[in-house]
Amino acid sequence: MRNGSSLQSEQKPPLQDFEGLRQESESRISRLHLKSGNGPLSLALFIALSILAQNDFAILPSLPDEVLALLGRPPSTNMISAALVLYSFSAIILILGRMMSGSERYGGVLHVGYLAAFYTFYHFAHALAENFWAVFAAGATVLILESYHLWTYCREEIRKERELLAQLERKEKSGFAP
Amino acid sequence: MFKSLTARAIVPVAVAVTGFVIICCILLYSLMKSDIISDTVTYATGLADTVVKSTRYAMLNSDRETLKNIIDNVGEQKRLEHVRIFNKKGLIMFSSVHGEINRFVDKKAAGCVECHSGPVPKETLAAMQKARRFTNERGVEVLAITAPIYNEPECSAAPCHIHPAEQKVLGTLDIGLSLADLLQNLKVMRERMIVFSIMVLLLTVGGVAALLWRNVFLPLRLLIEYTERTAQGDLTAELPDCGPELSKLANNVRTLSEELKQAESSAPRGEGTE
Repeated sequence: MRNGSSLQSEQKPPLQDFEGLRQESESRISRLHLKSGNGPLSLALFIALSILAQNDFAILPSLPDEVLALLGRPPSTNMISAALVLYSFSAIILILGRMMSGSERYGGVLHVGYLAAFYTFYHFAHALAENFWAVFAAGATVLILESYHLWTYCREEIRKERELLAQLERKEKSGFAP
Repeated sequence: MFKSLTARAIVPVAVAVTGFVIICCILLYSLMKSDIISDTVTYATGLADTVVKSTRYAMLNSDRETLKNIIDNVGEQKRLEHVRIFNKKGLIMFSSVHGEINRFVDKKAAGCVECHSGPVPKETLAAMQKARRFTNERGVEVLAITAPIYNEPECSAAPCHIHPAEQKVLGTLDIGLSLADLLQNLKVMRERMIVFSIMVLLLTVGGVAALLWRNVFLPLRLLIEYTERTAQGDLTAELPDCGPELSKLANNVRTLSEELKQAESSAPRGEGTE
């Protein structure tokens, strides 16, 4: 009996191992919750930028003539539009590729930067009023896809972590090692 | 709603296709609009040059009556909102709208300010700089072109009236074309593009959804029903026809279930409890 009980106490896992794994899993879950909020945040940032752009950046002070002269002539509207089509196409393909591979990468903030550049180029080419909705549609498409990808990825990972937590609980109750 | 396999397969495709078609349509429309307006400016510039050339002889002879008739006749043309000639000081000398003759034009107004923005007026302008768009008092959107009437040796040397040779510009012809037809055509084009985009979207998204439903989701639902019945111990359930891959999976589930049942029935009672 004594031998049996000493063996049992040797096999029983230390409680801190379960606690450590649980804490690790819970911190991963809260990190994933936080990460899934990045999508709407980027979208909100883009909408704020679009509100500024819709009035042709009238709120912002215009650049001095010397700076404009230093920047040189803006690219032609056709060139900016071609770049916008190319950008939208490649961004959509990349996001769909990431969805297929189940990658964790998220480029929402980076995309807001690219879209801000398009708004700026159209502004300097005096063609923002005519092309505003094209940039807006490109931004909305890319950022909605990015957000959807991030949201589904995080939800899937959270589900896995919760399953792991449930498994840990079952093992803890049955006395198995983690 | 977004958790199901159907939504996860269709939503990204629908968003990607819809977004890209919208972007391309807006850019295409914007490109076509700017091309059409550019063509209209070229046409209006040519028309202005034609009017200047046709009035040249009357101007050389200082034949005001003929000049007035030419301006009146040209002004009667459909789509022409106004034709006027004003001198260097901005005084309207001839106009298809008789009420504005002998009035001064505002040098700070659009169409004038392009040349008169600096202390010394510009003598030449690029084709697109000569053009301006505005809505006139009748509520018609107008594309107007200002064409300078340059001094020529025949003008400065003519005995009838004296223009000094150093004076480069004698006056300006201002011609305004109604954009109503053009805007109507653009509206029709925009509506056609919207209809076309909706049709493309319906075909693409609907096609993908229908094919996915027929080849993946429906067989998957049949398989789920079958595995649920097998899990409940019903081994008489018929194998569903759900394509080669899923049928193989269903068959494997049935074999596994039968073997488990056989193992369970052949095992001596109470063996597992010891």
